[in-house]
Amino acid sequence: MYQLNDQQIDYIFNDISARGVEMESLQLNLHDHVCCIIEQNLEENGDFESFYQKTIQTFYKDALWEIEEETLQLLTNKNYYKMKKIMIYSGTLSVAGFIAGSIFKIMHWPGASAILLLSMLNISLIFLPLLFILKTREVSAMKDKLMIAIGTIFGILFSISSLFKIFHWPGANLMWLSALGILMFVFIPIYFFSGIRTPETKVNTIITSIILISAGGMLFTLTSLKPSTKFYIGKTYNYLQGEELITRMHSIKNDTTNQNPEMINLSKEIIENCNKIKELIIIDGTGIKSIPKDFETKDIILQESGLGKEFDLGASGMELIQKLKKQINLYNTLVNRNKQLPIDNSIERMEKMELIRLSNYNLLNSLTDIQLFILQNEKGLTLN
Amino acid sequence: MIYSSELLKGTLKTIVLKLLADNKKMYGYEITQRVKELTLDKIQITEGALYPTLHSLEADGLVTTETEFIGKRVRKYYSLSPTGKTKTKEKVSELADFMETMKFLLDIKPKTA
Repeated sequence: MYQLNDQQIDYIFNDISARGVEMESLQLNLHDHVCCIIEQNLEENGDFESFYQKTIQTFYKDALWEIEEETLQLLTNKNYYKMKKIMIYSGTLSVAGFIAGSIFKIMHWPGASAILLLSMLNISLIFLPLLFILKTREVSAMKDKLMIAIGTIFGILFSISSLFKIFHWPGANLMWLSALGILMFVFIPIYFFSGIRTPETKVNTIITSIILISAGGMLFTLTSLKPSTKFYIGKTYNYLQGEELITRMHSIKNDTTNQNPEMINLSKEIIENCNKIKELIIIDGTGIKSIPKDFETKDIILQESGLGKEFDLGASGMELIQKLKKQINLYNTLVNRNKQLPIDNSIERMEKMELIRLSNYNLLNSLTDIQLFILQNEKGLTLN
Repeated sequence: MIYSSELLKGTLKTIVLKLLADNKKMYGYEITQRVKELTLDKIQITEGALYPTLHSLEADGLVTTETEFIGKRVRKYYSLSPTGKTKTKEKVSELADFMETMKFLLDIKPKTA
């Protein structure tokens, strides 16, 4: 029975960490183990150094850190199943969220945006990264790992750019195009040329590549199908001209012959209400309250789109429109037939479902028309 | 005869759990020595197999550890957790069942005197 002194104990401990074992608990375990073997088996006046070297060599095949690697392998394998489970759950949840969110969006029910946002974040920040980690573990070649990495980056960019598009955040188009670019010019070529070399994957690679290219092409087409910015520049000018006309009408003197104070007040209220609604539409489309005259140089262009979430049922825009409808009806009862606001304009018919079919420009133009009709009456420009 | 490590691989967890169930708390070296003793040197657990298994059992919550200082050395004692105790019973009966099946599959006649 051999008695180890403190120096020898330290020596063994240092040697174990020098051999590449880094986990503290494993260091302690191995340390105690070697010490026990030496104390049990070395004779009292034996050679510590050579006995230790002989003993430690029985612990492994090539290197001591193999034990740590094996330990980590066992520990991460456990995470593997956990990660796989989380991945499947998050994937299922996102798909369910996408379906529910789309239905909510179509029906204009509240919460659609929140559901879509969560699903999109879920898929790009949980599902895809996990898929990447798990998939890279299954392949060993660097080339395959690279391909999975590129695929994941494409997926994340694609879903985040869709998110940016839905919420009209800046940079969406750039992200969308770079995602498509990665797919078409990086991912598909690497995938194609690496798969076509092996006979057993050749046919599959060709078919999948064709499907991917056509899908990518369709997405490209969708991008370019959207009217060009020039088209919207024209529309924005039209809108600004309407606004200019309203301003000029304001500067004309009021017709004082047959106006009662109630009428003047109501006219003012309707015009103000119209301005408030316009403001909501413009904020939704551009992020700012009104479009400046030099919008083209400042790159603030109002694209034609649906009405924003302010016009969902119960939201402030919808309430303003309902108020406007009442005001118009009241106005029409107070004025002569030929001064009445045209009933058949889109405001009058605006129920929830009608609103969904309107674009922001439709509504803006209707509002401008109402304002002009009222101003026309106020300035005495209508024939009695 | 010393059994191959391949044969031991699938049973090591069960062996360790069963030993801990019978001995309350043990440290690594003790486990290897006890197995050697009980099997008359036929089964020799290597350090390279034992410690990864112990760490994995710990991560699973089947065993708990406590450390004890012996002079300058630190010794980690392993003992079964409550879930470990139920798991041990499951594992042992599963292995017994497996051995019966193997006997049948490989057509091994029990030695009768």
